[in-house]
Amino acid sequence: MDRDLNKLGFKCGVEIHQQLLTDKKLFCRCPAGLYSTEHHAEVLRHMRPTLSEMGVYDGCALMEFKTKKEIVYLLNKESVCTYDMDDTPPFPINEQALEIAIELALLCGCGVVDEMHIARKQYLDGSIPTGFQRTGIVGINGSIPFEGKKIGVSHFSIEEDACREVEDSGHFIHFRTDRLGMPLIEVVTEACFKSPEEAARGVRHIGRLLRASGKVRRGIGAVRQDVNVSIEGGRRVEIKGVPRYQLIPALTRIEALRQKALLEIRDELKRRKITQDSLKAVEEDITDVLRNSRSPILSDAIAKGHRIRAIKLVGLSGILNTPTQPGRMFSSELAGRVRVIACLDEIPNLFHTDNYPEYTRNHIDSRAIRLALKLGPQDVGVIVWGPEGDTITATAEIKNRIVEACDGVPCETRQHLRDGLTDFERILPGADRMYPDTDHPPVRIAAERVERIRNALPEPTYKIEERFRSYGIPEDAIADLALSPRIKLVDELARQKIDMKLVGRLMGQAVRSLGRQGISVDKIDDRTWIELATKLLSEKVPQKNYEPVLKAITADPALEISSLISSIKE
Amino acid sequence: MSDDDPYKGYREPALSLLKKSGAAVWDNVEIETVKGPFAGLILPRSTTEDAEHIVIKMASGYNTGVHVSSIKKIKKIGHREGHYAIPEKEFPYDKRKRNVTLLGTGGTIASRLDYKTGAVVPAFSPGELYGAVPELADVCNLTTKKLFGVFSENMGPEQYKALAEEIGRLIREGVHGIVIGHGTDTMHHTAAILSYMVQNPPVPIVLVGSQRSSDRPSSDAARNLLNSTFTAAHSDLAEIMVCMFGPTSDDYGLLHVGTRVRKMHSSYRSTFRTISDIPLAMVWPDRVVPLRACRKRRTDREVTINTAYDDRVTILYYYPGMNPDIVDALVDNGYHGIVIAGTGLGHVNAALNPALKRAIDAGVAVVMTVQTLWGYVHMNVYDTGRYLLELGIIPCENMIPEAAYMKLCWTLGQTRDLAKVREMMLTPIAHEITEREPHNGYLVYQGGIPEVERFLSTYKK
Repeated sequence: MDRDLNKLGFKCGVEIHQQLLTDKKLFCRCPAGLYSTEHHAEVLRHMRPTLSEMGVYDGCALMEFKTKKEIVYLLNKESVCTYDMDDTPPFPINEQALEIAIELALLCGCGVVDEMHIARKQYLDGSIPTGFQRTGIVGINGSIPFEGKKIGVSHFSIEEDACREVEDSGHFIHFRTDRLGMPLIEVVTEACFKSPEEAARGVRHIGRLLRASGKVRRGIGAVRQDVNVSIEGGRRVEIKGVPRYQLIPALTRIEALRQKALLEIRDELKRRKITQDSLKAVEEDITDVLRNSRSPILSDAIAKGHRIRAIKLVGLSGILNTPTQPGRMFSSELAGRVRVIACLDEIPNLFHTDNYPEYTRNHIDSRAIRLALKLGPQDVGVIVWGPEGDTITATAEIKNRIVEACDGVPCETRQHLRDGLTDFERILPGADRMYPDTDHPPVRIAAERVERIRNALPEPTYKIEERFRSYGIPEDAIADLALSPRIKLVDELARQKIDMKLVGRLMGQAVRSLGRQGISVDKIDDRTWIELATKLLSEKVPQKNYEPVLKAITADPALEISSLISSIKE
Repeated sequence: MSDDDPYKGYREPALSLLKKSGAAVWDNVEIETVKGPFAGLILPRSTTEDAEHIVIKMASGYNTGVHVSSIKKIKKIGHREGHYAIPEKEFPYDKRKRNVTLLGTGGTIASRLDYKTGAVVPAFSPGELYGAVPELADVCNLTTKKLFGVFSENMGPEQYKALAEEIGRLIREGVHGIVIGHGTDTMHHTAAILSYMVQNPPVPIVLVGSQRSSDRPSSDAARNLLNSTFTAAHSDLAEIMVCMFGPTSDDYGLLHVGTRVRKMHSSYRSTFRTISDIPLAMVWPDRVVPLRACRKRRTDREVTINTAYDDRVTILYYYPGMNPDIVDALVDNGYHGIVIAGTGLGHVNAALNPALKRAIDAGVAVVMTVQTLWGYVHMNVYDTGRYLLELGIIPCENMIPEAAYMKLCWTLGQTRDLAKVREMMLTPIAHEITEREPHNGYLVYQGGIPEVERFLSTYKK
């Protein structure tokens, strides 16, 4: 399989988002990390696209404007201030956060910029009340040693986190603002991963490196990855917000194959001489034609006073049935656009004549659609239903998606679903959504400051792991030990020539097992650890007893180790 | 920084480095630095920032500053000039629609990036507005005229007079309504002075601005523009008004009387509030719902324009322990009028009395307002007040200090006779004094209290 992906020219890069462990948010003085499901007030907003600094509108912004969303923010008084509501300009950047960001940028081998310029990155989906995320590049040209190669870090930025989405239904979207504004760093790698598994290992590698600082947040949502995939002839597609690296192999593999399928569709359209310019599509409101439909979905729509609109795609017969992902066909690409842009989000949101759904007397409807659209044998008809304005948007977007199919793979941001499947989220935003933040002057990062931080950097995890491996510590204990507070202790035990297999089993495996039971060994001091390791070895205590011994010590630190070991041996 | 200077904003030492490298602003460059290669487009440098960094826009769209000491070599590889301009589209004309003129004075209702300061500056054109807010064409036929391009703090007598005269001209030409785009900081000053300079207009005159500039996706500019043009074209309210957000949410706007309105928060969208009264009306982009009675739209073209103005007037914000020499200094410097923002019902320390007497004897008009903003001057309640009245201080009822200031400037521009000044100050022209304060006029919520929290959780803020 991977050899096939290689042949396709699989390329993958990632953007790792990691929350920083700070007391306060990035541009205001609200507490960071205070999550709640309670709210005390609501604010309603709308978003409009604005120009980039270069005088251009961003395609993603224009797409999101079409959705005409009513955006509602749920405010909790503990975690929100007038900055988060976009009713106050930003305060000077949180120095604690910037300090951590510089440290992490250096850990990623980046050159730290001399002067950071805060930018506004437009997001019209409502996830940020301003309509943009404040973000700035801290470092560039980074490089992280990885499996005998290097992961190139093209840039490293600090930014404010977005709101948490609560509900997105029709033209209404609700967000909580507790996470909004929390400091976050983004590590953007080059497209250097050549296989899905390598990408997953690379993400784990970088994640561990960031954790080595001890200054990043842990837990659900504290780390999110955007995974970029392309194949030869395809385009960059971003799979947004992947929470765990374990999901990456399936997602990237399926995306690569989806791109392959889209390129085949492009070639088939070319064979049929259908191009962006020659594509013929006719739209029509056919509500009256289907007024007596026995389809529960269509009759329900008619009962609600909704309209049914059809689009005839000339010469596209069969195309919509082309498989693109496991269990999905090209028609799902159309459904994704209709769901997001026209806000017709009850699935199914379209039917088409090449695969018309089963229901009582469905053949009558199918024939009526064919007649109304004057479909020839080479054509396909698609119908959508909903409020009239939305159906007009929907058929226009279906046509847009076919136009893009003539060109192959559209640049998209896709959301991840179960089993490695993805669905459309938005058009991939580009550089044209960037605008300088006129509210915040550039931030000078003096060379002396960078050097001071560099001199106090923690040792990178990959170096610790390498050293531990050279000590002979078992592989499955290395990962835990390299992120534990006992790195110096392990070095000391190695210096004292204690059997490192035992150290690995004791301080790696047994400690991990206790951790799962919620028992911390952090109170055991270095002297006790050394004595314990020595005695366990000299008394030839079997490995299965390590855990009970540790448990007893954590329960009563005053225990005498020799007597403890002899009692366990008996 | 002239527009044709290829090194926009760059000064020594960055300037020499650029010249030596044969690179200038808008050039695509590769920069070799001690931190590795940087590639991007050289941007103008803000003149308020230091002279030691070269700013580039990288391919990602991010900007960054590279210190001259980090740079080993700059290589020019191309040129791409950025033009931040909203696409201009000709505003469609529909003879069935009403005609509204939008007068531009500056401010964030329409703004663009300024590289000199790195901040935003006013920009204004009909095509730009239509390009940015095409829904305007559904409301009216819009003509725009840029009178000045200044931030609101730079508005002054010259601009007030020009505005008033322009409004008179437009009314005589038959316009259905007038909108004035204005920076928000001194919008209520302009609204007040126009209320005296433009009397009994037959059509709505609406001042509008924005609290979030129009270069932001969440800007209030578009909605304010739609609300104000709708008011000008279709409402029945022949008053000088301010139209800004009611709540901070994108919901309704409020129409405030020009002499009763005040900016009450440094940054909130819903910063404008009617003081000691209720607003005139609520407005949405397609309807106006009146809240109280006011002067109605007329079909005649009559309006009184009186642009008198004397700028030798000041506001004296009283504080405990104020030294009388401040009043003396004002008199010695030739001031003709003093608006006191007094404490409570309109008081100052007795130590000021001799100085105030000297001022009035010297022919200076001294008027009293309250720094509580809400409520009337009542100088008969305490001896302090009675003594001040005896000195000849004019109690300005419930005029807010800024409205009293503008009225005194306007009055003194016509007469220095203190008896006449008193009569003119106390004869209301445009609601600057109202006879009755409604029971629901005064409303400053105290957050945190259960009943207010209940309200906040029920209605969108």
